[in-house]
Amino acid sequence: MRKKGSMLVTLIIMVTLIAAGCSGGNTNNTTNDSTSQGNKSQSSNSENTKKGKTKLLFWSPFSGADGPFMKNIVDSYNASQDQYSMEFVIQPNGEYYKMLDVALNASKDSPDLVIMHLDQIPTYQSKGQLQAIDDLAANAGISKADYVEAPIDYATIDGKWYGIPLDIHPLVMYYNKDLFEKAGITSVPTNRAEFDAAVEKLTDQQAGVYGYVVPTLWPQQFIFPTLVWQNGGELWDGDNVAYNSPEAVEMIEWMRGLIDKGVSPSNVQQDGENTLFLQGKNAIQFNGPWMKSQFDEAGLNFGVAPVPQIGKAKPAVFGGSHNFAIPQGVTDEDILAGIGDFLKYVSSNSLDWAESGQALASKPMLESAEFKALPQSAIAESFSYVQFAPNVLNWPTISEPIWGELNNALLGNKPAQQAMDDAAAKSQQAIGK
Amino acid sequence: MKPTLKSRISSSLFALPYTLCFAAFLLFPICYGFYISLHDFELLSKEHPFVGLSNYIAIFTPNSYENSLFFRGLWATIQFVIFSVPLLIIAGLAIAMLVNALPSKLRGLFRTFYFIPYALSASVMAVIWLMMFDTNAGFLNSMLQKLGGQSIPWLTGTPWAWVSLIITTLWWTIGFNMIIFINALNQVPEDYYEAASIDGASSWSKFIYITLPTIRPVMLFVMITSTIASFNIYAQPFLLTRGGPGDTTRVLLINVLDHAFIRKEVGSASAMAIIMALIIIIISLVQYRLTYGRKEGN
Repeated sequence: MRKKGSMLVTLIIMVTLIAAGCSGGNTNNTTNDSTSQGNKSQSSNSENTKKGKTKLLFWSPFSGADGPFMKNIVDSYNASQDQYSMEFVIQPNGEYYKMLDVALNASKDSPDLVIMHLDQIPTYQSKGQLQAIDDLAANAGISKADYVEAPIDYATIDGKWYGIPLDIHPLVMYYNKDLFEKAGITSVPTNRAEFDAAVEKLTDQQAGVYGYVVPTLWPQQFIFPTLVWQNGGELWDGDNVAYNSPEAVEMIEWMRGLIDKGVSPSNVQQDGENTLFLQGKNAIQFNGPWMKSQFDEAGLNFGVAPVPQIGKAKPAVFGGSHNFAIPQGVTDEDILAGIGDFLKYVSSNSLDWAESGQALASKPMLESAEFKALPQSAIAESFSYVQFAPNVLNWPTISEPIWGELNNALLGNKPAQQAMDDAAAKSQQAIGK
Repeated sequence: MKPTLKSRISSSLFALPYTLCFAAFLLFPICYGFYISLHDFELLSKEHPFVGLSNYIAIFTPNSYENSLFFRGLWATIQFVIFSVPLLIIAGLAIAMLVNALPSKLRGLFRTFYFIPYALSASVMAVIWLMMFDTNAGFLNSMLQKLGGQSIPWLTGTPWAWVSLIITTLWWTIGFNMIIFINALNQVPEDYYEAASIDGASSWSKFIYITLPTIRPVMLFVMITSTIASFNIYAQPFLLTRGGPGDTTRVLLINVLDHAFIRKEVGSASAMAIIMALIIIIISLVQYRLTYGRKEGN
């Protein structure tokens, strides 16, 4: 009996250890799946002299519908010259920075050129992970004057330039043209009064049609800052978080008001507003340019316009920007020259990227006839007032509590002021370290 | 018969591949993780100074950032474990018994049906259940409205968010428990049941006095593995509710991963993971003691 008991103990301990590992494979499948997906197309770039072409490794997070458009650009670049061969790797969007962090630490199979969001550049630069590209740009004939000022200023730290912008993706307004026609609305709203009037006209509760469905999770990360800035508030006042100011709370209460009025259904879960938009039950959506191809495929009769100025103070819109950045560890002269060559090519040949729905940051492209013919060229008008995430180290960590508490406020679980105060307390705890 | 050298070598060779994999993929990462947790390991820094137990101390310091991150997450995870583990065991056993009671032609078919969800990836599971639970466009609420009921805020209301997570978890993972229990049930000798019938026992008595005691070791196995799997939950709350409403379903693993890769504090996050592992081990030991404790007298 004793022998059976001790064998059972050993068996159970072994099984527990195995299960502790294995159960990770079950409930943690998201991480497992995406790691194996992303690593498939990596190759070593140590054979630089194969066929005489210098090999370059380029990482991007474009795992959505926009990936193939960038691939076209890379392919045409490779076909257009004989000296360099750019290998293009797409990592899953949600895992991109985790994998980038690991790859930058690893130094083998580390990318030569990366896409980095503008608001990440200060953090990575402060850890010495990026190199200044002033020399590389000069050698390749790329000048700051060729690009929209806002992202250039953001990416210039201590007088040195760290990121070349590819695009600027601000929040935009998508609207259902059929529903607008049916409600007799002839021009898109441009301010709060027009917006409030339009959404009431568009809402038809009997038919299950809503004027504007308020999202409670993503993409509030773009919507909330836009509204706060438009209303004269700030997210960060230079020293401390400022998103619990009366101006910010007023905007949350405005959104909550739309739900109370019935213009939006309540209890919208993740992606609920997008599903209803695709079904033609939601007339207006605020989202990013990356959604365009999804709407094209769904065959919706939709239009794109700048976000109306809901706030009372000034026009403003939150944007992100994809930038090209070069990791610190890339020192080979040949590779650097190749990167410069590729970037020069992209600044005049990125129409493919525009066709994915993005608005380009390169001035020659913005002024070209082909770009102006695309529907999102209207978005470029907002570039004069686009703002990016506060230029504070660790902003993602500091701002993290906002979204959970905003979710509480929009679901009606907490009054808006209390929610933002709670979030501010948590942010301050995060900074306090 | 004393094992010969030859048979010892050949049996060691059989065990070798697994031992190598175990060492590389389980033993080494666990030890390295513990090593990292003793350092100030910021993902993007070049230097990682040794800090001893200060990562652990920070987690237990009241009002520190790590403290709230860890214990709020732990509370959400514990709630999930308490709600899900009993259901996973009972439902697993119930489905196993139902499937076993089917005529043999249908048995294989239904085993497959119930097991298929287990083979799906997390993303597929999330897409399916987001469509089911969508408050306005979802299948469940459409059905409810057709039957004259009210829409339920499946993913945004309390306690509905928990209900949805449990339903999804049961659908996704019950197949595993069911298969284990089917095997266990098949090993209960038929004669026991026949003898009991002759003595006039009811089905319920047969279940309590024959089935349960005989499958006790398997029951313990299922209890421990289900607890471990529930503690490790990540995909369902992250993909379905994003930790919402507010942060009520923000389970521990979501917080640990955020801490590691958004805040980039891998050292501190490793300490949290080690503490979480210790908690799971202690709970498993308690479960073992409770199930077998009475037999210790032998």
